[in-house]
Parts: sequence; structure tokens; C-alpha cells
Amino acid sequence: MSVIDRPSAVTAQQLAAAGSTRRRRGSRLKIWIGAVCTLLVVLPILLANVLPLPAANSQDLSQRRLAPLTDGHLLGTDQLGRDLLSLILHGGQVSLLVGVLAVSVSGVIGIVLGSMAGFYGGKIDAFISRVLEAQLSLPLLMMLLLVVALFGPSLPVITFVIAIAQWPEVARLTRSLVLVEREKPYVSAARVLGLPRLQVLIRHVIPNIFKQASLVVLLLLAQAVLLESALSYLGAGPQRPFSTWGRIISDGQDYITTSWWLVTFPGLFIVILVVGVNLLGDGLRDRARRRKGAKS
Amino acid sequence: MTPYETSATSAAFDRLSSLSNTGLSRRSLLKWASAAAGAAALASLAGCATPTGLPGPGTYTVALNRSLVSLDNKLNQFDAAVTVQRAVRQGLTRISTELTPELVLASSFVLTSPTEWTVAIHPDAVYSDGTRVEVQDVATALEMYRTTAGSFLATFFPEWPVVVPIDDSTFILRTEKPLPILDYLMANILITPAAANTNEELQTGVGSGPYVVKSANRGTGNYVLERNDNYWAALPPIGTIQVRFLPEESSRVVSLRSGEVDVIDSISPDSVDQLRGLPGVKIETTDGVRINQLFYNFRKPASHPLADPAVRKALSYAIDGDALVNDVLVGSVVEATGVVPQRLTGSTETGTYEYDPDRAKSELKALGVTDLELSIIWESGEFASDTQIMEAVYEMLRAVGVKPTLRQFEPGGDISTWRQGRAGDWDVLGNGYASPTGLAVTLLQGMYAGTAKKEETRDSYHGYVFPEITDIIGAASSEVDPTLRQGYLDEAQQAIWDTWPCLWSFAPKAVLARRDRVDGVVLGPNGSYQILDVSLKA
Amino acid sequence: MAPYILRRLGQSLLTVFLTVSTVFVLVRLAPGDPAVAYAGPLATTEQLDTVRTQFGLDLPLWQQYAVFLRQLFQGDLGTSFSFQSPALQVVLERLPYTITLAVSAILLTTVVSVPLGVWMARRADTARELSANVVTIAGQSMPEFWTGTMLLTLFAVLVPILPASGFSTWGGLVLPTITIAIMQIALISRMVRREIVMNLQAPYLTVARSRGVKESGLTWRYAMGGASIPVLTALGTRFASMLNGVVVVEVVFAWPGVGSLVVRALETRDYPLIVATVLVTSVLSVLVQLLVDLCYPLLDPRVRLGKVATS
Repeated sequence: MSVIDRPSAVTAQQLAAAGSTRRRRGSRLKIWIGAVCTLLVVLPILLANVLPLPAANSQDLSQRRLAPLTDGHLLGTDQLGRDLLSLILHGGQVSLLVGVLAVSVSGVIGIVLGSMAGFYGGKIDAFISRVLEAQLSLPLLMMLLLVVALFGPSLPVITFVIAIAQWPEVARLTRSLVLVEREKPYVSAARVLGLPRLQVLIRHVIPNIFKQASLVVLLLLAQAVLLESALSYLGAGPQRPFSTWGRIISDGQDYITTSWWLVTFPGLFIVILVVGVNLLGDGLRDRARRRKGAKS
Repeated sequence: MTPYETSATSAAFDRLSSLSNTGLSRRSLLKWASAAAGAAALASLAGCATPTGLPGPGTYTVALNRSLVSLDNKLNQFDAAVTVQRAVRQGLTRISTELTPELVLASSFVLTSPTEWTVAIHPDAVYSDGTRVEVQDVATALEMYRTTAGSFLATFFPEWPVVVPIDDSTFILRTEKPLPILDYLMANILITPAAANTNEELQTGVGSGPYVVKSANRGTGNYVLERNDNYWAALPPIGTIQVRFLPEESSRVVSLRSGEVDVIDSISPDSVDQLRGLPGVKIETTDGVRINQLFYNFRKPASHPLADPAVRKALSYAIDGDALVNDVLVGSVVEATGVVPQRLTGSTETGTYEYDPDRAKSELKALGVTDLELSIIWESGEFASDTQIMEAVYEMLRAVGVKPTLRQFEPGGDISTWRQGRAGDWDVLGNGYASPTGLAVTLLQGMYAGTAKKEETRDSYHGYVFPEITDIIGAASSEVDPTLRQGYLDEAQQAIWDTWPCLWSFAPKAVLARRDRVDGVVLGPNGSYQILDVSLKA
Repeated sequence: MAPYILRRLGQSLLTVFLTVSTVFVLVRLAPGDPAVAYAGPLATTEQLDTVRTQFGLDLPLWQQYAVFLRQLFQGDLGTSFSFQSPALQVVLERLPYTITLAVSAILLTTVVSVPLGVWMARRADTARELSANVVTIAGQSMPEFWTGTMLLTLFAVLVPILPASGFSTWGGLVLPTITIAIMQIALISRMVRREIVMNLQAPYLTVARSRGVKESGLTWRYAMGGASIPVLTALGTRFASMLNGVVVVEVVFAWPGVGSLVVRALETRDYPLIVATVLVTSVLSVLVQLLVDLCYPLLDPRVRLGKVATS
């Protein structure tokens, strides 16, 4: 009897105690490194217009493909003499804009639909869940490429397409969060008080799950940046001469052995940004989980 | 159950005890699962591909930038394909590297009267299946080429000759007006057995060339050609040719460097720079018969600024040709000094491009053109470094106050509908045009001899219809006397230059990169070479 | 179990149907004359008319759909004008290459990510695990086209030990497989770690621990059993999505599979080819997904006995 009980109690407690400090340190470290990496990329991008850099489109045909640290070009120049750092930062402005807009749209759609599905249940839930699963089963990159090929590679189309690709994940998570919230006492209390369901949903349930749902949205930002750069690499980016990161890399591929910086640096920017966002999101998620674990 | 046991632990107990008792149930489940997974894996393995195998040392590997859709040239005439197509099929004549016609399937091809050429088919000429090449085959071939929809070869023939058989292997090619360049033109008509010829590109079937198709995977663009043992002339040294499709230039360059591929083409000047001096790689280059143009759209209403040649000329002052030639194109091209490349027989220098952005600005202002929007379209891969040129031109135009936009099309896409004026509006087209005969008059015929009738079916060259010029070109094509002909050609070219058809143009060199184990590649100005001259050093 | 199987089958059919219909609708919605899209830019007016009647492009949309479905069941997917041969044939000629790549990538992923995930789980929250964590996050953050290009340059150009493109020798499989696997290993190993950690804390594990079972036995024989279902389904899902075309990697390595085919088809607006590619790949991937889900009852007795909802 107690033989069975005690060992399990001790072990669980030991596990909990031993891991908690390490877990706390771990998640804090992740959050810090993540934030630093993200800011390392995002800040210069945001400040691109005020930094003392040549304009992204100012070509100098006599200065083609200069190595990094020549003639005032920190990262070198591309095949038309444009400053690579400037190209990357200005291209990054568009990539970031597309990413942020796309996840905002998908976040809004996802949270709204997901919470409706979770809260109201029944037919609404069934319908939204079917649509969700159906969309998740479609081949992602192919569909994105198809839509862009059919309707043109303009920024609104690309943003819209990425948003449509991502809302199911947000909706799915929101729905499961709301399902849990729905059982909590405060919801039944509010209903007993006679508050209409919609009001309970909007003013109480959603704010409570918002923080967790936005964590997913943050992680989806990383995915959106990767998607946009893949699309742009494959040629489905905004019309020339403006280039985002993916196309800078695909243009630079021809020169990989003679001007390696054209591929390496844009890629590094993508990697650092995405690693940063992922670490940040991961760390925040760990911390939230820990806090929830400690509470219950 | 005691109060201390929870149902979870008892369930766990049950599980554990059942495991230790039978010891098999979980394991058998896992066995089932792995069996199922294994079956699925085997099934998918059955669908797997195996490597295509390294080509043997005696195989010559060619990498093309476009998928070789067929071994016929009724529609596709990109340079690398020409070499491979002509390994399998031949015409009555061919254009040599000196740009003169050489006899191939014909043993004689003589102008016997102003409107008649008498041709004799070579007595040895047979197809790979042993059947003889017949007069009917020539007649059918001409008919098929004439009726192929969208054929650009059709634009080179001012008139299609009629075949009049004399006997089994001799015939007359008769035209209404004299056609002194017919021996050049017939080099492009590939001969196939009449019964098998259609007015589409031929995928299969026999040809009289030194190689036959052993395997063709159209989906992946991999072809294997083998020596034709029935070849009616001297057998070629190489036994097997492998054709591969590598759309990305970087793949082609890397594959050549590593020796996976023996020869590549369609490489940008930057890649040529990179490859030059690498051990094991040699560059072949020669003057080209191609002109690359930024051609104006001539289908504009009379009120449009671009309908005025003065405006067209003013815009050209904005283009820094020297920077484009020396920097972007690394000196591998020559800025055009006429309407056709100067390598062509019959070409004349008619003027030059100048770079003077201030003059561009002032002239545009004087002509009342402000805030001109210019839409530039091109198909990527049309000519080497095309994208860079377009982006550079974009900035140059912006610098003089024009508002350009770029629109890039992918190869094989729908740019032809745009070019025919059936899709959107555009102002400048990036296009390359080669002369498949090495003669200036062919290019002039194809581009500048537009008629209202041709324009009805949108077959004129982007709406370029100037009847006086068409007449002069017609006179040149049917003029037998060479001096008079040259006079007409000079007049035509000057008149064309004065209409200012291009924003800018240049003549690229034909260029090829090969491994140094490859011998005998004599690059012709049209970018192709005879495969039967090629051999592989041990 | 039977209702479960029937339900999954129904879902699969629905998915294929939905995918193909979505492509059909999107293609019809696009601007431009669909007849030109089907026949190619060089078609004459007569050829355009033939195509119009053949595909019923003048009919109202729902009738076009009926024509489309009818031809689908007859196996007629039209002719690809950029390849000048039947669209289905072009796809099937290239499909084996994608299958090979997907199989080798999933094998590498499984072989590396499972032990790695277990290693990370056993050392959960230690400093070593934290660095492994960061490394896996880096792995899933690198865009495949960048990783592929860098690997290509390093091992096919600068140190030419592997082929650069295509599939002439087995060596040509190495770089594309590694490129795909990096991201997949990162994702799957993290998932394995999560699952194992969760199972290591489960009550039945503590009972086993109290009975003296060794840590390594606990991990591999017990926790793994509980983790195997989500991990296997994740691997299966990944394999299925790879069959949809590892597009970017195929483009970087000039791999003659359906991923690079779909990019070409989209570039050239070759609609019969687009439809054929999407159809074949989605059928294949749905089939794999179905097989994976059918393994569920074999692995999880609760499903077999109908005790637990599996959606």
C-alpha cells in the first residue's frame, strides 16, 4: 500500500525539484539569446532608412561584386554594384512586413474561428474543424506556388497566401485552449449571471488564452519568414528590380564560388532571425508551461 | 484494491503483469507494426528510381538549359538543341562556320535559272532504317514546315518553293520570284520520311543523321543517342551521346567543373570569367550571328509618345552602353552599329548608340514627354545576363525621369501572347534574334519585312510594318546580282536604323565551355557545332 | 476498428477530391483565356477551339467540373504543351526520383532523430541538452535552399567529392538527402524528446522504476512504447508531405523529380501538367498518410477496441 505510494511520490517530487532550477535557467537563457538574435536582425532593418548606407537600388556598374569590407561596403556589393548590406536590410523590410502582416491576419482569423469552434461547439465546431483539417491536408508549398503563379507575385497576394496557409494552426491551438477554459468555473459563473455567451467569449475567455495563443503566432512568424524567402527564391517574389532575401540568394547562386558573400550573408540574416524568433518563442513557452505547472 | 492504490496504478499493474505473463502481446504488436511499416516501405521502394548511371568514358555528355522536347526544329531552335537535333536529322544543306552553304543530303544544289534551283539527292543518302531519302520526303517536309502553327522559320521564306521531280533523286525547286538564297534557307528544313512527317515537332521517327535515339525520357529531359551504324557517310568517332537538362546556370557550371558534363552553353559572361583558367575546362568563342535587342513595341496608337521615332531615339541617350558592355557583360559582346550583327553577310554599319543622359532629358522635355511610363518585358534566359541588363537599364531610365517597370517571364511561359499583342500592354521587349542562314537578308526578312496581312494574324515582328522598307527587302531577296543586292540591303538597313527600332542592342559572341578531353568542337557563329566532328581524348 | 478504418478511408478520398477540386477552381479563376493555358501560347485558332470543346471551357463552371471529373476517371489528364506529351506520363516518369529522395530522407531522419531525441530526453534540462536544443532550433531555422546551396558548394565544388546535380550515381543522393534531413531531424528529435519526457513522468513508469527496472530499459522498452505512436505518425506524416514534392531541394540540386516539375509547370502556366502533378502527388501522399493511420489500431489497443477517439 504505502510501498506503492511513497516511491512514486518521492520520485515525482525529486524530478520536479531537481529540474526546476535548470528549467528556469534554461528558459531564461533561451529567451535572452532569442531576443538578442531577433533584435540583431530586426533593429537594423527598422533603422535601414536612417542608417548611413547607400540606397538599395543605387547601382555602380564599375563596382560589381566587391568583396566585403572594400570601399566602404561592409558586406560587399552584388552583381550590379549595389551595396549588399543595404539590399539585405531593405529587402528585409519587405520580408518582415509580409511576415508580420501575414501572421497578424492568420492570428486574427485563427483566434476568432478557433475560439468560436471551441466555445460554441456543436455544428459550428464541426464545420470549422472540417475546414481546418481539409486545409491542413492540402500540399502547402505547391498550393502557395499555384496561387502566386495564377494571381501574380504581388505583395498583397503573397501576404494573403501565407496567412491562409497558417491560420489552421492558430485555430487548432486556440480551439483546444478554449475547450479547456470553457470548463473553468468563472465561465459557468458568468453564464449564471446571465451574461450572453458572446460577451463571455470576447471579454473573458479570449483575453485569458490570448497570451498562449500569441506564442504560437510568434513561432508562426518564423515560419512565415521562411515561407516568404522560399517563395522568393523560387521566383515568386515581388517584381524586379526589388528583391527580397530569397531572390538575392538565388541571383547570387551563380557566383557562389567567386562571390560567396552574395549567398552567405542574406542566408545568415534569415537564419539568425528565425533562430531568434524560435528561441524566444520556445523560451516563453517553457516559462509559461512551468508557471502553469507550478500553479496546478 | 486498497485505498492507496489508484485506478491508474492498478491499470499499470495489469499491463505489467500481462506483459510478464505472456511476455509477447506488446512484442507481437510491435512486430505487426514493423511488418506494416516494412510493407509500406517496400511498396515505396518499388517505386523508387535507381541512379541513371555514370556515362562511360566513351560517352559525350551535353547539358542543355532548356528541356529538349523533340529532335525536330519546326518550333524549337535554341542553340544547344540545334547541335543535338542535327545529330539525328539532316537537311539538304547546312551553314558552315564560314557562313556559307555546304552540301549534306544534296550532292548538288545549283541555280539553273533565276527562279529554279536544280537539286540532286546524294546517291548514298539513307535513313537509319536503311530506306533511301526520296524527293517526296523533301516536298512533304516543305509542306509541313510551311503549315506548322507558330513556326518562326516560316517568316524567313519570302515564298515557299514548289518541288518539281525530275527523276527518283533529282528535282527542281521552283519559285515565282527569284530566290537566290534558297540554298541557305533549305539548310533549316530537316528531312524525314514523308509518311512520318507532320506539321508538329517530331518526337520519334528516323532521320538520316549520324546518331539515333536510343532512349528518350521527355519528363526528365534525359536522352541517349547512339551511333547510327547505317550512317551513309563516315561514321562519327563518338559512340554514345547523353543529353541532360540542367535549367539552372549554376548547376551547369558546377557540373562542368566537376566533369560530370562535357559541354555546356548559355552561360553568362560572369560564368565564362569564372571558368576561364580552370584546369580541365576550355572556352570556345566566336563572333555570333545573333542580335539581342531592347525592341520597341510598334503596336502603339499614333498619339502615343513611343510612336514618334524622335522619342525612341531620345530614350536611347539614357543608356550607358559602355558600362553595359564592359562591366555587366564583361566585354564579351559588341554594341550594335547596325540593325543586324556585323558578322552576317550583307550587313552594313548604319549608326551608333550614344550615352548622354542630359541630352536624353532635354530632348524628352523638348518633345513634350514627361513622366513617361515604360513597361519592359523579357523572358528570362533569352540571352545571357538578361536580368542584370534589365535591372541596369531600369536605373538608367529612372535617372532621366522616366518611370520604368519590369516584368519578367519564365521560359516557355506565355510571353508569346504578350509579344503578339494578345495579352497586356508593353513598351520594350528584351529579345534575341538569330539568323539561321548567316545572311543579313534573312534577319531583315524575318524582323523588318512586315506587311498589313501579316499583322492581321499578328505575325509581324511586334507590329513593325513599314511598306517601303518591306519593298526594299523584297527587292534584295529576289535580286540575283550581288552588287545590286548589296545596294538594296544597304538602303534597307539605313532606312530601318532611321526608324529607331531599338532602345539598345548588341551582338553577343557565341560561347561554349567544354572539358579539355573533348576535341573537335568547332563552334559555328550560330552557337552550334557538328557533333560528328567531335571526339574524346583518352 | 472497422468504423475507424472506414472513416479514415472516407477522409482520404475527400482530401484527394478536395485538393484536385481546389486546383481546378483556382485554375479557372485565374485571369486569361484558359484555352490558351491548355493549348499553349503557340496554338492556332482551330487548335484553341478544339481544346475548348475537349475541355468544355465554354460551358458553365459546374458542367466543366463534370467534364473534368469524367476525364479524370478515364485517366485522361490532357497533354502538357511544354513537354509535348501526355501530362500523366511526364509526371509518372519523374515520380520515382522524388520517391527515392523522400525514402532516403525519411530513413536518415528516423535513424538520427530517434536516438537523438532519446538522448535529449534522458538529459532533459541539463546544460548539454540545452545546447542540443539550440542546435536543433538552428537546424529547423535554416532555409533549405540556403543549406542546400552551401552544402553543394562545400562538397561538390570546393572539395569535389560528391556530384553536383542529378542522379547519375548513388552519391548524388547524399547532399539532397542531408539537406532535407537537417530540418526534419531537428523537428522530429524535439518531438521525440517531448514525448519521452512526458512518458518518463507517467505513473506506470514510476511503478516500473520502483520494481527496479534499469533507466535505459525504462527509456527504450517502456517510454518508447508510449511515445512510438505519435512519433511514428509524425514520421509518416513527414514522409507523406515529402512525397508532395520536396520542391526547393529538387530545384537546388537539379533533381529530376516532381517538385522541380511543378515549379516548371507553374512557370510555364502548363495547366494540364499542373493538375496532373498535384493529383498524382496528393494521391500518393494521402495513401501514405492512410497507411500510417491504419497502423494506429495495431499500435494502440485503445483505438482497436474503439475506446478512444483518435481525431
